Amino acid sequence: MVKVAEPGVQEEVHSIEKPHETPPDWEPNILAFACHYCAFAAADLAGVMRLSYPSNVKIIRLPCTGKLDYIHILHAFERGVDGIFAAG
Amino acid sequence: MKSGSNLEKVLESGHFAVTAEVGPPKGASAKVVQRKGELLKTYCDAMNVTDNQTAIVRMSSCSGCILLREIGIDPVMQIVVRDRNRIAIQSDILGAVALGIRNILCLSGDHQRFGNHPTTKGVYDIDSIQLVQTLKKMRDEKKFICGEDISGEVPLYIGAVETPFADPIEYRVKRLAKKVKAGADFIQTQAVFDVAKFIKWMEIVRDEGLDKQVHILAGVIPIKSVGMARYMKDNVSGISVPDEIVTRMEEAKVAKDEGVKIALEIIEQLKEMNSIHGIHIMAVAWEDIVPVIVERAGLLPRPVL
Amino acid sequence: MIVGEQKPFEEIWEMIKSFRKVLVFGCNTCVAICHAGGGKEAEILASLIRMKAIQEGIGMEVKHAAIERHCEPEFFDPMMEDIKTNDVVLSTACGVGVNFLAERIGDIPVFPGINTQFFGAVPKAGIFVELCAGCGNCILHLTGGICPIARCAKSLMNGPCGGTNKGKCEISQDVDCGWYLIVERMKKLGALEKLYEIQPLRNWSTATYGGPRRVVLEHIKDIEGQ
Repeated sequence: MVKVAEPGVQEEVHSIEKPHETPPDWEPNILAFACHYCAFAAADLAGVMRLSYPSNVKIIRLPCTGKLDYIHILHAFERGVDGIFAAG
Repeated sequence: MKSGSNLEKVLESGHFAVTAEVGPPKGASAKVVQRKGELLKTYCDAMNVTDNQTAIVRMSSCSGCILLREIGIDPVMQIVVRDRNRIAIQSDILGAVALGIRNILCLSGDHQRFGNHPTTKGVYDIDSIQLVQTLKKMRDEKKFICGEDISGEVPLYIGAVETPFADPIEYRVKRLAKKVKAGADFIQTQAVFDVAKFIKWMEIVRDEGLDKQVHILAGVIPIKSVGMARYMKDNVSGISVPDEIVTRMEEAKVAKDEGVKIALEIIEQLKEMNSIHGIHIMAVAWEDIVPVIVERAGLLPRPVL
Repeated sequence: MIVGEQKPFEEIWEMIKSFRKVLVFGCNTCVAICHAGGGKEAEILASLIRMKAIQEGIGMEVKHAAIERHCEPEFFDPMMEDIKTNDVVLSTACGVGVNFLAERIGDIPVFPGINTQFFGAVPKAGIFVELCAGCGNCILHLTGGICPIARCAKSLMNGPCGGTNKGKCEISQDVDCGWYLIVERMKKLGALEKLYEIQPLRNWSTATYGGPRRVVLEHIKDIEGQ
């Protein structure tokens, strides 16, 4: 039997975002989905080389960006992410 | 006589028939129909009244026919199967006959998507061939489709249409044969421009022996402008306009005069074909040219029978 | 299979915006194949509704679920109690599913999330075409396996009308003339003469025009009864 899925992220969502004016110092919250074999490896390499990237970017490693489903993107937006960066 | 209509008398007595077409108004004015009727009255043997052509709402074909009949014209009531089911069609036919309408032309009708109510529901309960069959049954057997008796006579002269050059060409004559088998007394064709092609098509019709079983009236459309010639060539299915005609229209000093000349030349060739028993002139929004054409084609006076 | 298309989001929102507990309920059979209302689409729709609710400042609890078939009670009866905890069910099943659930769910409204369109085939991924109208009176043996009821815009029975243009229907250059296809097919089958016969008037009472239809298999019904 299939259970009704729980939204899970709900409370967090409610606290995060309602339409509002963008403050001047606002920076978008970016979530990057990176392929384990190329883009994520590149990010790793960047780390080894002590290169830095802005702290408002968070990276999620995927085995392959082919695994990136619409719903992952939508869930990210629901959680208050402003933009998605898919690299693979 | 099946119906005793003027059109029937003209065709059955072997005359070369002339029919014309009236588009009823988008309004309730009887005068529009009467004016067109008076204009063409002595120049044709019968007048078709279209049934919401191109699926645009207009005064009903039946009412237009009654208005024409009142001024002494033999009307041809067009019925499309798009808007009525078999109950409404049979009922309308009884009413039409009661009011003196004798000629009925059966058509599929342009799809409702073309018209001014494109979201309506098309009926298409029966098709045009089944409509011919229905009329024949009502007239000859005095029965409705369901088999029940009709009280009294239903005198009808049954017409159908044919588009000789529409796809699939090789099946068209067979479909015409179906209409004849279903009981059509006369056929009005889509406009003929390419006479050579039409002659070839009529040869196949003759091979099937159809010209002996039904009166074929060839359609004639006088071309008013170069634009109209081009439009028909490119956009109207089943009409084959040769390049030569478009060129002639382009080069003409007065396009309308050239259009009339072309129509006359076509009529001349049609008259020479034994298997063609008349012409049907569809002067779309140019009714006043019909008398000119009929007169110059030497088709006057019209027989009084 | 049954082909549907998701309704415009604004229309869906208007239906459900006054409710607080919403279940977006997908069906993993036909409408999943046409990417309109399967579990995945239900999940996406639920997410979109949650975001819309936030934007509108409405506290709305939106869940999603899906089962294999909305047209047989065995599939959703076991989860009926869960379903009933919601204020409204937005079903992305076909219209059959919406009707069937509405009949069984009691006093909770069931709204359609998709427009159910037709029985279709999938000639290529992402393309769905109507081939059968479900008229209840099949004549495909007479027309080379191509249905004039579904594929002729006028459902003509005796050949193409005068509107055929280069093998296309008069309603659109994107639509094949059904009768053109039939004639070509019958030529290939060497059976064109079958089309010379006049087909009689249709009995439309076997289609929806005769009222709601039902089929009862007495022998199976009896076994079930025992």
